[in-house]
Amino acid sequence: MLEKGRISSFQLSVLLVGFVLGSSIIITPGGDAGHDAWIAIALGLMEGSLIALIFTALVLRFKDKTIIEINDLVFGKVIGKLISVLFLWYFLHLGALVLNDYVHFFRLELYPATPRTVMLLIIMLVCASTVNRGIEALARCSLILVPLTISVIFLVTMFLIPHFNLNNLMPILDLPIGKLLWSAHSVASFPFAESVVFVMILAFLNKSEKGGRAVSKALIIAGLVLIIASIRNSAVLGPMVAAYNYPSYQAVQVIDIRDIFTRLEILVAINFITMGFLKISVLLYGTVLGLAQVLNLQSYRPIILPVGILMVILALTNVANTIELFDFTHKIYPIYAVPFQIIIPLITLIIAKLRQLPKTDGGIP
Amino acid sequence: MKNRQQGKISLVILLSIISVFIVGCWDSRELSTLSLIAGLGFDLDPATKRATLTYQSIVPSQVKPSPSMGGGEGKQTGSGGLQSIQLDHDTGLSPYEVLNRYTQHGSRIPFYQHTQVIVIGKAAAEHGLYPFLDTVIRNPAGRPNILLAISDNKASDILAVEDGMENIQAVGMANIIKLSARFSKYPAVTCLDFTSRFIGKTTAPVAPIMGVFEETGPEGKRQKKIRINGTAVFKGDKMIGKLNEQESSGLLWVINQIEKGFVIIPEASLEIIGSKTKIIPELTGGKIKITVEIEEEANLIQYNNARNITPDLIHQLEKAQAREIESQVKAVIKKSMALNADIFDFGGAVHRKYKKEWKKMEPRWDDIYPTIEVSVKVKTRLDEIGDINKAIMTE
Repeated sequence: MLEKGRISSFQLSVLLVGFVLGSSIIITPGGDAGHDAWIAIALGLMEGSLIALIFTALVLRFKDKTIIEINDLVFGKVIGKLISVLFLWYFLHLGALVLNDYVHFFRLELYPATPRTVMLLIIMLVCASTVNRGIEALARCSLILVPLTISVIFLVTMFLIPHFNLNNLMPILDLPIGKLLWSAHSVASFPFAESVVFVMILAFLNKSEKGGRAVSKALIIAGLVLIIASIRNSAVLGPMVAAYNYPSYQAVQVIDIRDIFTRLEILVAINFITMGFLKISVLLYGTVLGLAQVLNLQSYRPIILPVGILMVILALTNVANTIELFDFTHKIYPIYAVPFQIIIPLITLIIAKLRQLPKTDGGIP
Repeated sequence: MKNRQQGKISLVILLSIISVFIVGCWDSRELSTLSLIAGLGFDLDPATKRATLTYQSIVPSQVKPSPSMGGGEGKQTGSGGLQSIQLDHDTGLSPYEVLNRYTQHGSRIPFYQHTQVIVIGKAAAEHGLYPFLDTVIRNPAGRPNILLAISDNKASDILAVEDGMENIQAVGMANIIKLSARFSKYPAVTCLDFTSRFIGKTTAPVAPIMGVFEETGPEGKRQKKIRINGTAVFKGDKMIGKLNEQESSGLLWVINQIEKGFVIIPEASLEIIGSKTKIIPELTGGKIKITVEIEEEANLIQYNNARNITPDLIHQLEKAQAREIESQVKAVIKKSMALNADIFDFGGAVHRKYKKEWKKMEPRWDDIYPTIEVSVKVKTRLDEIGDINKAIMTE
């Protein structure tokens, strides 16, 4: 076993909440649904939870095995490795996309002059150092950061209540049903079903039978937070919510309590730093551990930095500008992610059931 | 072992020291290198299509603590006025070209995070605001809650007027707008409000109009002052008309932005303590009827006649007050119909109630709007009558 750490189901839940909040804390999902975004998020949460059911069922069926080992068992050494490499590509690419969200946001709003390479390397160093300390350290980080972030979200929401105009949320279901469903699916693929990377982590639960409930609990909590943020943004910004790139950031700028509590938008940026850090760390961890397992390495630690640098390079080269990133996220990604999030785990699960794996009586411990 | 620990400790110390010195090294901004733009004015010459921007920057060394903070002697008067601010003008073809020209004469980097108010000249407003508006809301440094004002002449004139109470003129101007909105005279319009109405297609944006007037000061000198004297009505990005004082109040009644303020009727003055407005659209046989329901509560603060206040009299005052509010509302509705500008977001109200029919109505809203039948229902309640319950003089 490459990873000796074990985490509790509570730690897993908190880490997953942080992972889902990740970059969606700043790029509110379902943005193309306008003021109906919260409905899209609710529907997307349902779809995402169904998808999560598939991969949790798969991983928990094989106790203490990551998806890489499961693929080897289910498909055999050669095809299994190929499929594993597909997953690794997805984790790596997703990590690069989150890095992109990161760098585009910060270079626009806060650090216009800082070179993107430097920014990416700094965040990657922090993530790499966390991953180097193993899954337990990562989970404990989330125990501090996630409650902090959620309380900040509630705090700024409270501050914004005087600026709420609930008329902005009416009429409910204004969108054609097709558009709403597409929007819901895009919310399911980003962020909820991205939790498929936890196929690398669920194996390290100390009590694996609690895994399913931990995952669904986490998704629901993160979903509720996102729904609240979405309702808040629509109520405050009105029809402009669809026009802004980063609605939460703009909405929080509106806060003005007696000229004392103003310019609180930095809190949103801090939330994004912490949650983005968790998301990138989880993805880096998944990629690195998976690669080590595919290559039968003794330890995953030596390849953390190389893979991290690879992720940074991918982030630097894969999109040319912000609008390309958003276009990819909203139009292509919901389809691109389907094989990794649904199809491959589903096929693996079906084959595992047909072949009645894992064999409890056999030689596999 | 000990060596390693020492190494670790010195590494931590080294990192802490480094982190103090290199924070935000690429993006560090020192106050002494920034020119804080407090107010921004935008003018357009309709003939040449050249834009002029007026920057009112704060001169930090000249900002004195206001007298109320104690210690400070306040603003020196007489020696040229406007000391804590500096005005600069630039002209060019597009807003950004002008912003860029600032670097030709400014010694500091313009910094817009503390901009209080944006003033737009009348000619620019009538010509169309889109390029300027885009500049403001696209710029990450611009904030959604910057106040907008329209100048009844040139924006640069308004930004040059010294205002009495505040050190920084733009702050004073922002306070004037906020105060008039608090007392329900004219709307306070932020960039966000303006663009939300703008993006909503059928709803017409509004903004307060400010003007300069002159009066004789305490030392006998003529002094310039600024005041709000109307509300500009936009259609799309172009200003098409102006609401007067009465119509502006009427607008606030309809869009439920009455906070406090006064209703003056011939025999008494009443202080508003609360008000709620509902816009109820009804669609019957393809025709839209809109009912504006206002429920208001007020206190009596002045009564002109030396009579004791009786329940009957209260009732009469309530009715007179309702008539006054109704006349304000009717005036603004008439004006908005004449301008064919939906400043009340009636379109939004119809959309919220009849979302299917709205799809067909939205493109024809300009034809529909002037034909809408609007009825106004005002319910008022007089609560307190003040500290005295008897007339202090009898007739």
